[in-house]
Amino acid sequence: MKKKPNYNLICGIVITGLILSITVIGQFFTPYDPNELNASLKNAAPSLMHLMGTDNLGRDILSRVMAGIGTTLFIALWTVFIGGLFGTIVGALTGYFGGWIDEAVMRVNDILLSFPSILLALIFVSVVGTGKLNLIICLGILFIPSFARIVRSEIIRLKALDFVKSAKVMGAGHLRIIFVHMLPNIVVSMLTTAAIGFNNAILAEAGMSYLGLGVQPPDASLGRMISESQAYLFNAPWFSIFPGIVIILTILGFSLISDGLKKVSGAAS
Amino acid sequence: MKYIIKKVITLIMALLVISIFTFVAFSILPGDAAMTKLGTAGTPEKIEAMREELGLNRPIITRYLDWLKDAVKGEFGESYQYSSTSVASLISERLPTTVLLAVISFLFIFSLSIPLGLISTKHPGKWLDTLINQLMQIMMAIPSFFLGIILTYIFGLVLKWFQPGKFISPAEDFIASARYLVFPALAVALPKVAMMVKFLRSGILAETKKDYVRTAYSKGSSENRVLFRHILKNALIPVITFAAMIIAEILAGSIVVEQVFGVPGMGRLLIMAIASRDYPVVQAVVTYITAIVIIVNFIVDMLYQLVDPRVNTA
Amino acid sequence: MKTLLEVNHLTVSFFDKKVPEKVLDQVSFTVNHGEIVGIVGESGSGKSMTSLSIMGLLSEHARILSGEILWEGTDLLSLKPAEVRKLKGSQMSMIFQEPMTSLNPVLKIGPQVGEVLKIHTNMSDDAIKAKVFNALQEVGLSDAASLYHQYPHQLSGGMRQRVMIAIAALNTPKLLIADEATTALDVTVQAEILRLLKKIHEQRGSSILFISHDLNVIKEICQKVIVMYEGKIVEAGAVLEVLNSPKHAYTKRLVASMPGARNELTTINPLLKLTDLNIFYKEKCQKKHVIKDLSLEVYEGEILGIVGESGCGKSTLARTIAGLHSDYEGDIKMAAGNPSMIFQDPYGSLNPAKKVGWILEEPLKMGGITDKRRRRSMVEDMLTKVGMDTSVKNRYPRELSGGQRQRVSIGCALINHHRFIIADEPVSSLDVTIQSQILDLLIRLHKEYELTIMFISHDLNIVRHLCHRVVVMYLGEIVETAWVRDIYDHPWHPYTQMLFDSILTNEQKATTAADSSLSMQTSDHKDGCCFYHRCQYSDRHCQDQKPKLRKMHKGHLVKCHKAEDWA
Repeated sequence: MKKKPNYNLICGIVITGLILSITVIGQFFTPYDPNELNASLKNAAPSLMHLMGTDNLGRDILSRVMAGIGTTLFIALWTVFIGGLFGTIVGALTGYFGGWIDEAVMRVNDILLSFPSILLALIFVSVVGTGKLNLIICLGILFIPSFARIVRSEIIRLKALDFVKSAKVMGAGHLRIIFVHMLPNIVVSMLTTAAIGFNNAILAEAGMSYLGLGVQPPDASLGRMISESQAYLFNAPWFSIFPGIVIILTILGFSLISDGLKKVSGAAS
Repeated sequence: MKYIIKKVITLIMALLVISIFTFVAFSILPGDAAMTKLGTAGTPEKIEAMREELGLNRPIITRYLDWLKDAVKGEFGESYQYSSTSVASLISERLPTTVLLAVISFLFIFSLSIPLGLISTKHPGKWLDTLINQLMQIMMAIPSFFLGIILTYIFGLVLKWFQPGKFISPAEDFIASARYLVFPALAVALPKVAMMVKFLRSGILAETKKDYVRTAYSKGSSENRVLFRHILKNALIPVITFAAMIIAEILAGSIVVEQVFGVPGMGRLLIMAIASRDYPVVQAVVTYITAIVIIVNFIVDMLYQLVDPRVNTA
Repeated sequence: MKTLLEVNHLTVSFFDKKVPEKVLDQVSFTVNHGEIVGIVGESGSGKSMTSLSIMGLLSEHARILSGEILWEGTDLLSLKPAEVRKLKGSQMSMIFQEPMTSLNPVLKIGPQVGEVLKIHTNMSDDAIKAKVFNALQEVGLSDAASLYHQYPHQLSGGMRQRVMIAIAALNTPKLLIADEATTALDVTVQAEILRLLKKIHEQRGSSILFISHDLNVIKEICQKVIVMYEGKIVEAGAVLEVLNSPKHAYTKRLVASMPGARNELTTINPLLKLTDLNIFYKEKCQKKHVIKDLSLEVYEGEILGIVGESGCGKSTLARTIAGLHSDYEGDIKMAAGNPSMIFQDPYGSLNPAKKVGWILEEPLKMGGITDKRRRRSMVEDMLTKVGMDTSVKNRYPRELSGGQRQRVSIGCALINHHRFIIADEPVSSLDVTIQSQILDLLIRLHKEYELTIMFISHDLNIVRHLCHRVVVMYLGEIVETAWVRDIYDHPWHPYTQMLFDSILTNEQKATTAADSSLSMQTSDHKDGCCFYHRCQYSDRHCQDQKPKLRKMHKGHLVKCHKAEDWA
């Protein structure tokens, strides 16, 4: 029986590759200046000159999309980094040492997790204000509980295994055991959680920007484009559809890769 | 019994913590009720006088306790923006709409995901399962609001099954209201259906590999008997905890979706209040939504205790 | 004797990896009416596959390539699934190794037992309930009424296995397949379950196909035996003939799986002294008193066996001595440095994310050896010493077999010149032929490095062969200590006697065992003897007053009031 090629992984890599190349190119070159107005070409349908058409102010949608993706990925990356770093530290320490601190932290964690994250984000934003930096801090902090929980449960699972006891008997200190012995074993779950968090961050940023409470101009944002486009939905649907499809493809690409990787690591173990 | 009491205490504590947190957070901000009320007419002396009048110079603990006293009675003060409109009345106008939206979404989620989940596990790995999986994968990648826009376009503008923006409140016409809400509910529900199907599917497939299933087959059980009498009960237990999360997500989703469809619910109110810095409203809405989430979690927790024999009798 | 089951040239392959794996190769054998046939083999032998094939329980990845399974003349493989289903649970049934996971955790016991009747008969619910009560009582579960409404997690392992037997026997099957049915149970419970199976065989006339890796168990219950190795049958015949005079090379290896002899202990020099040790364990906010007033000396150069059933505290004791557990009161005096430890589970005892070389270097790094080259050469030396090729240092644990992993664990324990080793069930998870290799290795290293080994095990046969002295534990207390020869010739304590009765060997049993359906419970009587509840000799005095560890004769200590009376 032949082995089936890993479609998920292949499709994922193709799609993500496409998105990433558009993003990277967009950092250096866009067909038009994303903010360049062109009054004569308002709401123009897609054409050879403007592959995705123009918006209500005559700006080239393709250029705006390229800039917007850059913003989105930037925010998502930082979110995962902040959430991942602090979440790992919190989860690993509480899972390993246990005790009442673990109980307390987990209780707080559970309360935070049971909330719709967008609500917390809205509260944060209404206090601290909108904008790219604030959004990163907000989403980063919001991502810590889910990461902490995963890392914690993995650490607890590993703690019961004999190789940890063995390391203790050998004389290894606690921190060494956690970070040198245990952590390499949970890299896979951490990556999976990071991938999920990455996608959630993209969705969250898009949603917040749609509501007008996320990224503010002049920073480009796909979410805000969609919100601006809503009034012209009937006349110029491309204004909404292209940014939306780009968001969908970005998320789809990453989740296909993460699923594909899961199959690979599952086969290896 | 001890467990229930512990849980109730946690519940109340969580409510208090969130309300204190938001209250304190809003107090830090520059620009307060006095300034907003007086608007452009405010001179420094008038603002100071207004502050005294509104009691904004008292210590924060006193102000919080006052707020709490009123909140428990259901009074949340007056809106900054719509002066002389009580926050409570703003909320009571819109709460039924949001609740109706949430209920319809919830019904959609369960009525769609359970059959889909079961179908995809009947012949795992075959074409039907793969098809469902890929569809769900794509569905999860679509932001709710974008889905809302697509639905608006197809069903509102092209097919004209509803008129976007022309919402009728349930108090006026329940049926028409519900009919309109079908589309926002779909926008909220469909991505969650995808999550639920994935969850159910992996749960059921994990159970099929377990030893007790082998025992059931060794007794001569048919596939259907094994699925419905043995596997489902085990696989659905974790779904209960998942359901709590789903409800929180529905509320979250509705905040954005209400905006897309122009539905005047709690979510829309919250967004408008944040944008116009109408803090009493924000405080009240946040407290309400928090309370709903926490109470739902509590109920789900109790349900879980009832349903899973390993928890109670251990 | 009529033929009940005839398996002819059965060949089965697994198709879940890149290369199809043949798990059964031309397997042929028969089971007659009223016969007890055993299949013995190690992991990978195909013994379980055989039983799953007969019952039609193979996974979807397995495919039967050729052969037939004739049930009273009809080929099961040619029948439609619905027809086969009629036989399962009524004419042929099966019990499995893990009673906990084999029962549905969210359904009550009663309905789970009654299900076989519901599927195969038209009986009313009340009639089914009555039959279930009967069945539970017949398998020795006296409190059937309350058991009916309980859930699997509320029962002990032995009780759950009895429930499984009740399910399997309820429709009086012609064939009952027991797949490693006693492997996961304590020795005394194992004896009870075997007695129960024999009873069913005698009273109902059911044939039994008994699958196990344990030769002693096979000898105890089976009339015929089939020896399997790597999917093939290598030898078959009457039990005593095959096991006493094996013809095939593999069978010979299997039967002779006892390691070489260890040397005698010449001097008595205490290396470890435990005095009035009390160990506590915090479980879900409850502090349990796991080890009670324990005093013990371990002599330098000896191999000390610690035996006891699950729950007696031997692992907790080991972990406390090794320094892994610190909640204790009392004195632990160690003459020469900390001990190192070898664990039971070869799959969990090595870090899956690190190469073997790294794993062996860790103790050296902890020991302060900073020179990389020196560490590397020490690692290579140790690998050779434990009988492995030095190239293993670049492999990951998942690439090694269970036996190889235990060798690495042993290497880890010794590499930093530790001479006191605590071995917690180091060979229990290994195949019998591999067990003897590892034990041979331990004996060799013991001689070469003059080690002191604290050997914890539930396998009394291994302990007899390997250890100088034995300590018997029950519910956190030492009930008997003696030199090996003394204790096996003449066990004084009633619990030791019960344990030794359960070792299934050819020798005749001297006494009948006490009722072990009462699993180990923590005694309510803090003042009385810990074994009071299960002891057949106990009286009022035993209930009220705790016996002291008394010296019977040289080196032989017993904690029992009655023992003095018999002396």
